[in-house]
Amino acid sequence: MAAMSLLLRAAAAWGARRAASGAAGGVRLPWLAGAARLPGTVAPVRHSSGHGKKMFIIKATSFYDTRFLNLLRFYIFLTGIPVALFITYVNIFIGEAELAEIPEGYVPEYWEYYKHPISRWIARYFLDPPEKHYEKQMALLDIEAKKTELRLTELEARRLMRHRGDGPWYHYETPDKNLVDNSMKSTPDN
Amino acid sequence: MPEDSDWEAYKVPPTRTPVSERTTSVPNPATFFQTVFNYVVDAPVTFVREWIERQQAKNKFYYYHQKFRRVPDLSECLEGDYLCFFEAEAQWRRDRMVDQEIVEIVRERLGACKQREGPNQFQNCAKEVELLAQVTKAYQDRYGDLGVHGNARTCLMKQKHRMMEERKAQANASQ
Repeated sequence: MAAMSLLLRAAAAWGARRAASGAAGGVRLPWLAGAARLPGTVAPVRHSSGHGKKMFIIKATSFYDTRFLNLLRFYIFLTGIPVALFITYVNIFIGEAELAEIPEGYVPEYWEYYKHPISRWIARYFLDPPEKHYEKQMALLDIEAKKTELRLTELEARRLMRHRGDGPWYHYETPDKNLVDNSMKSTPDN
Repeated sequence: MPEDSDWEAYKVPPTRTPVSERTTSVPNPATFFQTVFNYVVDAPVTFVREWIERQQAKNKFYYYHQKFRRVPDLSECLEGDYLCFFEAEAQWRRDRMVDQEIVEIVRERLGACKQREGPNQFQNCAKEVELLAQVTKAYQDRYGDLGVHGNARTCLMKQKHRMMEERKAQANASQ
C-alpha cells in the first residue's frame, strides 16, 4: 500500500518532469520511444480514500470534440437510419428486376430499362425520357442550323447588292445633279 | 460491366481425380469441417436467401436491354445536315461503347481460361489468346489513336486513310 503510493508518487513526478521537458524541449518522437504516457499532466491530490492515490489529471478539454462528434452522429443517423431501413426493405421485399428479352410487338417504357426498383421509380416520376432529351437537342441544333443558314444568306445578299447595286439595300442619298455647278469645267482653258 | 451471358465459356471441366482406396481407419477431418460449415454457415444463409427469393417472387418485373434503331451513317449524311451529323455521332458513340465491352468480355474470357487451366494455359488457351489478339487489333485499327476528342468524323477520316493505304499497298503489290 505504501509502496504503491510511493510508486504512484514517483510516477507522477516522472510524468510532471517529462511533461515539463516535453514543453520546453520541443517536438520529439514519442511514438518511437514507445513509452506509456498518462494523458496530460498529473498532479497528486491528498484526501485519497480506499485504495491507491487519486490523481488529478490536467489535460486539454475534450468537451467541444465530443459534443461535435455526438451531434455529427445524431444528425447523420437521424435521416441515415430511416433511409437505410427503407433501402433494405426495398431490396428484400421488392427486389431487383430480371433481365428478359423484349417481347414481340411490345415497346418497353423508358423506365423499364433500369434494374433497381428505386432507379426505376426515379426514372419514371422525376426524369424525362431520354428520347425527349434527344429530340430537344436535335430541335436546338435545328434552330441554330437555320440561324446560321439565314445569317450566311443575309451576308451573301448584302455582298451581292452592294456589288451590283440593283437591290433595295445600299441606296445612298446623293445631291440633285441640277445643283452641280459645271462652270469650272465649261471651258477647256481654266 | 455487363455480365457475360455465355456461361459455357467459364465452366470448369469435371475433375479427373481418381477415387482413392481408404488405407487408414482415421476418419477424414475434412468431412468434419464440411459438416460444421454446412450447419453453421451454409444452411442458415441458404434458408434466408430462399425466404428472400420467395418474398420477391410475389411480384416479378423485368428490365430490358434497349435496342436502338440504326440511323444513316456519317458517310451517308449530306454536307451541312447537322441533324444527320448528330444522329450519326450518337450512333457511333453507342457502337464504340459496344466494341469496348466486346473487348472487355474477350479479355475476361482469356483470364478465366488462364485461371481454369493453370499450368496448361499456354497450350489450352491458344484460341482465346488468338481471339483477343484479333479483337484488340481490330479495335486499335478502328478506334485507336483518335484521342479523347475522337468523334465519328475523325474515325471516318481514319478509315479513309486506312483504305488509301490499303489501295496503295495493293497497287504496289500488283506492280
